[in-house]
Amino acid sequence: MTALKIPTHQLSRFQSLIALFILCLVLSILSDRFLTTANAWNVMRQVSVNICLSVGMTLVILTAGIDLSVGSILALCGAVTASLLKNGLAFESLNLFVGFAPLGAVMVGLALGVGLGWFNGWTITRFSVPPFVATLAMLTIARGLTMLWTGGFPINGLGEQFAFLGTGWFLGIPMPVWITAVIVAWAVLLTNKTRFGRYVYAIGGNERAARLSGIAINKVKMSVYALAGGLAAVGGILVTSRLDSAQPNAGISYELDAIAAVVIGGTSLSGGKGSILGAVLGGVIIGVLNNGLVLLNVSPFWQQVVKGLVILLAVMIDKANTRK
Amino acid sequence: MVSPNRGSPGLLYTYFTRPSKVQPSVDVRQLANKRKSNPFMKRSVLLGTAWLLLLGIGFACHRNTQEGPERIAVVVSTLNNPWFVVLAETAAAEARALGYETTIFDSQNNTALETDHFENAISSGYRAILFNPTDAEGSVSNVVKAANAGLGVFCMDREVNSDRAASQILSDNYSGCVSLGKYFVEKMDKKGNYVELLGLVGDNNTWNRSSGFHSVVDHYPDLKMVAQQSADFDRNKAMEVMESILQVHPDVDAVFCGNDAMAMGAFQALKAAGLAETVHVFGFDGAADVIEAVEQGNIAATAMQFPKVMAETAAQLADQFIRGETNFIPKLPVDVELVHAGNVHHYAAYGKSEE
Repeated sequence: MTALKIPTHQLSRFQSLIALFILCLVLSILSDRFLTTANAWNVMRQVSVNICLSVGMTLVILTAGIDLSVGSILALCGAVTASLLKNGLAFESLNLFVGFAPLGAVMVGLALGVGLGWFNGWTITRFSVPPFVATLAMLTIARGLTMLWTGGFPINGLGEQFAFLGTGWFLGIPMPVWITAVIVAWAVLLTNKTRFGRYVYAIGGNERAARLSGIAINKVKMSVYALAGGLAAVGGILVTSRLDSAQPNAGISYELDAIAAVVIGGTSLSGGKGSILGAVLGGVIIGVLNNGLVLLNVSPFWQQVVKGLVILLAVMIDKANTRK
Repeated sequence: MVSPNRGSPGLLYTYFTRPSKVQPSVDVRQLANKRKSNPFMKRSVLLGTAWLLLLGIGFACHRNTQEGPERIAVVVSTLNNPWFVVLAETAAAEARALGYETTIFDSQNNTALETDHFENAISSGYRAILFNPTDAEGSVSNVVKAANAGLGVFCMDREVNSDRAASQILSDNYSGCVSLGKYFVEKMDKKGNYVELLGLVGDNNTWNRSSGFHSVVDHYPDLKMVAQQSADFDRNKAMEVMESILQVHPDVDAVFCGNDAMAMGAFQALKAAGLAETVHVFGFDGAADVIEAVEQGNIAATAMQFPKVMAETAAQLADQFIRGETNFIPKLPVDVELVHAGNVHHYAAYGKSEE
């Protein structure tokens, strides 16, 4: 089983690379503006949020789960971080006011994301709620909480320091790209080099066997959902910082983009097979496609059709290859 | 670490499918007797809490159906956009000030959900509906149903293609964009390259605004639209799309956006590219941050709609309807006004400034 598994996902990684290469080739022939440094940074910056979400989503999908709540968690964490930064926290009954420095507000945002993700994992493992249902519920809960927290209005004007996270440059590379690169590197090590990573694959491959071999399934699953929540919070903070504004409707349908990236990257929705780097490639393919379709001024109606077809094609090729 | 929690789904199942005569209090008492068995206790506490929560919701709903002041429903197409939040909340506040009990229903841009809201409002005895429809055609049957049941339906902002609504207080998106287009032509001196950012391509307001704008601008052959893309009325999407467009057309002179959120997103992309000074950005709505940006000269112009005026008017008409008035003007247009650097001091977020 393991002997077969390794070559297949190396193959699928190879496939997405070829797909990306062909896509870039076609786009650079069609538009002379595609293959420029400025545009490359554009694409990298634009895909960074989706890749953050996709890394978390990959971990979840590897355990044969799914997380539909990441878009809403992104919005809630972004909104909470922004409002703490801007307005602080006032406890009127205690006559207490707590102000937040950017780092503090970001920490609270991240902790909230991890907490909500952990709650997902808790309902899934403790009550055996199917992941689809549990995270679907969280999708609406977190969106509703975002509306409650913001009253439906954007929170604007968050200051230069905080804006640096999303718009700044460090050593000639945009900050969101740095942050995402660090997350990706860490996640690759986590899945390939640690016991935890092996457990994640084992659970997705055969949950019963994993349980019988003594893996603390519930613990691993809860950690995985908590990580997905935390990474959604990172995405929320990046989006908020880039826009200098927390939008209550941020992140709608981002979960679908993340799932698409994971699937294009060759990760199997039934779990146990796939890789972080695959999801990164998937995310870049979606980003390049979005960018290229706009560069070519393709009608917005057609863009949706094309994106759907690319996802379908990627998975069809993947399936055809695994059947061999 | 192998946790034997196989029992829990079964237990959950029986609890929730047991006939309703089983009282939650019984569960709580059982739990008191079985304190020793730890996993069962935990489970029972949780299930007990769930039951109590359901019971609480039941009571809360029950309280609502008791006698009290007359009630008015506010059914709004979406609360996912601050503009509609202002519309819905002003309508509810005005109705409350007139002595009515009000509830806001959010249709989430879904006509089927809107139908549910109408059915609920009819069956629970509301007298009037302050209505912001999801769709001019799709919402017709809802309006007819409510009118047949004797409720007064007052449309706000968006039109319904039916004469059964008691009155419609409408914001004219098309002519608002005609005046925006005229100002655009003047500001651009009749020549230059521009980009259009459309809203959601499935939304009729997107196209009302776009066609109003083009009805003027397309008469000037030296004004060239170099790109037309959708950014879904979304600030982040607008920024990303604009970033990409600037790669192809760094020489663009203006951006026309279908709403203010997109105008802010486009402005941010221009600012990052160092083009904010030279490119004129045009929005639509009159949102708080755009009014500020027009004052600072970052955004050239926007079109002010008056959600508060429309909402208050609708609530006052509904009040007259409940008091027995039957004669209303079927369509009451509320002008959309152009806001630019020259007159921005007369305006505040979503209306005229208080002076």
